[in-house]
Amino acid sequence: MAESVPLGVGAAKPRPLRRPRPMSTSMLPRRSRLSVAVFLLPPLLLYGVAVLLPIVQSLFLSLFRWDGITDMAFVGIDNYVKMLTRDDVFWTAFGNALGYLAICLVLQLGGALVVASLLTALPRARELVKTIYLLPAVISTVAIAILFQRIYSLEPVGLLNQVLAWVGLEGLQNAWLSDVQTVLAAVSIPEGWRFTGLYMLIIYAALIAVPRELEEAARLDGASWWQVFWRIRFPYIRPVWITTTIMATTFALRGFDIPYLLTNGGPGQASELLTTYMYKTAFVHTDYGYASAISVFIVVECLVAVGLIFLLLRRRDDS
Amino acid sequence: MSTTKRRRAFLAAAATAAAAALVLTGCAGASSSADPTDVDPDGEIVPREISWLLSRPADGGVITAMEQIAEEYAEEHSGFSLNLITTPDRPSYIQKYETLAAANKLPELFDTDATPFAQKLAGQNRMVDVEVLLDDLGLADEYREAALNYQRFDDGSLYMVPFEFQLEFFWYNTALFADAGVEVPATLDDFPAMCEALRAKGVTPIALDGQDQWPLERYMAYYPFRMAGPEYVQDLKNGDAAFADPAGKAAAEWLYDLGQAGCFQEGFSSTGYADAQALFTSGNAAVYNIGTWELANLATETLDPGVRDSVDYFTLPTIDGAVTEDNEFVTPSGIGMAVNARTYDPLVRDFLAFALERYPEVYAATGALSPTTNVETTIPDNATELYSRAVEQANEVGAKIAMPWDTQLDPATNTRLQQELTLLVQGDITPDEFIETMDAALAENSHG
Repeated sequence: MAESVPLGVGAAKPRPLRRPRPMSTSMLPRRSRLSVAVFLLPPLLLYGVAVLLPIVQSLFLSLFRWDGITDMAFVGIDNYVKMLTRDDVFWTAFGNALGYLAICLVLQLGGALVVASLLTALPRARELVKTIYLLPAVISTVAIAILFQRIYSLEPVGLLNQVLAWVGLEGLQNAWLSDVQTVLAAVSIPEGWRFTGLYMLIIYAALIAVPRELEEAARLDGASWWQVFWRIRFPYIRPVWITTTIMATTFALRGFDIPYLLTNGGPGQASELLTTYMYKTAFVHTDYGYASAISVFIVVECLVAVGLIFLLLRRRDDS
Repeated sequence: MSTTKRRRAFLAAAATAAAAALVLTGCAGASSSADPTDVDPDGEIVPREISWLLSRPADGGVITAMEQIAEEYAEEHSGFSLNLITTPDRPSYIQKYETLAAANKLPELFDTDATPFAQKLAGQNRMVDVEVLLDDLGLADEYREAALNYQRFDDGSLYMVPFEFQLEFFWYNTALFADAGVEVPATLDDFPAMCEALRAKGVTPIALDGQDQWPLERYMAYYPFRMAGPEYVQDLKNGDAAFADPAGKAAAEWLYDLGQAGCFQEGFSSTGYADAQALFTSGNAAVYNIGTWELANLATETLDPGVRDSVDYFTLPTIDGAVTEDNEFVTPSGIGMAVNARTYDPLVRDFLAFALERYPEVYAATGALSPTTNVETTIPDNATELYSRAVEQANEVGAKIAMPWDTQLDPATNTRLQQELTLLVQGDITPDEFIETMDAALAENSHG
């Protein structure tokens, strides 16, 4: 249902990276416009059926109370009233989703930028390093979840706690997935870690496209490392940066599998995200109406997030 | 565990897809024409494939026995086959079954506990009345009363057939107990002191599978069962009782005390089923609360030789002023099998008549406890003395059953309870906060 919804948001948005040049439309011969339409229409229809229709259906369903087997009962906006005023789990899950988003973005975008920058300075073995960093992105989520469950484990002692013991920090040993203070970070890190390589690859591709001459000229003029990065490299990769930010944000906002597999939202609601909560509401509580209301919220949340990113990053681009 | 996870992930995807399909087709449940009491329909027996959607271990006794019986039946009825579709991980199974129920796609036979959801299905005449069916087949008197009672809804009606009979014990390590100088707890209130003594010796007092959540929920059920009887949880779900009542309060405080006494291993909430059992069977934990379905692992020579001679069990301790007897504790007859009323026909009836008659003998031969009283369980050759003791104990259990709460409460309240229980035992919330949250959840979710 709503599982596919934010995907559409993510897939639909990264259209033109640079502002369209007035030339581009006139470059096509007039008669081929029809053929463009012929090629664009089927995916557009598919998008409508697979993405827009379920959103409308969810919107409709969110006005009802329905357990799947008895008749649907119209309740108006009560599901939304419950969501916004009576349900403390919803707000906890919303807060957690934002925390999860923040950690994922720092790891994925920050980590990717650092690694990509270092990679451009690497004289050889770049392909090897790239491959190694990309590896987690191709491992199945379930394998990653099991891997991290072992890493975080305390009884029997897992890798993380073992390393802490080796360096003499036994006092910091913790059951990372059972402590309400650490669990959110513990479930966010695997998600951030696994896609760092992917974004690194995208940013790296943008970085190597920055003209060498510009950087060299700037260095000759006495620009520091930071000035070269901030005045030359970053403005050059900004369009790619916007795209990766949108991708990472929408992916993180609909993050589901790793928290679900590692802790199932627990302990308590300490690692419950809106997505896991929506899933539980639908398929464990069989409260499809309320789950639809939550999924509508997730769609709105994704749209707002993408809008904000455009607003913030675009404006600086214009200035 | 890994397969459970994978299955869960797969199911998540499958259930999502199914629900999307549901929404797209605008398909709603309801509407029925089948009569749930028409257990002997007219017509010819036409062999075909029938399916059983079930939630039992793939290589377990029930499936092995039913496969054998289906083969025997197929010899007489060419063209018949029994398609067993099992999802042992219970939460995944429930999602699958409820989604199929919503899509009106349940097969001929399907597993369910006596949950509020199942009661709705029965109310819509979608399940065959098993009370009438067993009477008609002349088998009703063969079943253990406790085994049938476990399957009944609150109103006493019976829509599921039991295939097992289990007793849940506290298994304990006598050597570790002796070492710490503790006795088997006489009352539930002795637990905290027992835990502290074991902790002082560096032993994990109780191994707990916190990941699956139902094992901790069992502990929630114990105190109220002794203090207010099995009716408490029924009243709770009907809104006639509250967590703030004395029984609920005592349970919350007892669990909080267990947590404060360090009864469970650190990080229990992320420990899985196999890991928890390994803590006990490796001699690292002193107590382990599990049912007789683990007899083959705990009471045979497959058990680690290091602990084999020091494993024993005790049943649920009592409390001062208990309203239930010592021989009454958690004695489930497992998830039950419901018969889909819409696909019920002469073939299904004929197969069930054959299978239910034959089942106890085949099943008991695997060393398991039959839900009926007409057979003797075969004790395996490699069994320890505990095995036969546990099997004999099955004949001495009382009439009242401590029902697992996860089959009783509505799912939303149940989820919240499981979450809050972890926090309560970890000491993240106080008993008062626990009670307040739970009563609010109960009020919010009890609208039906």
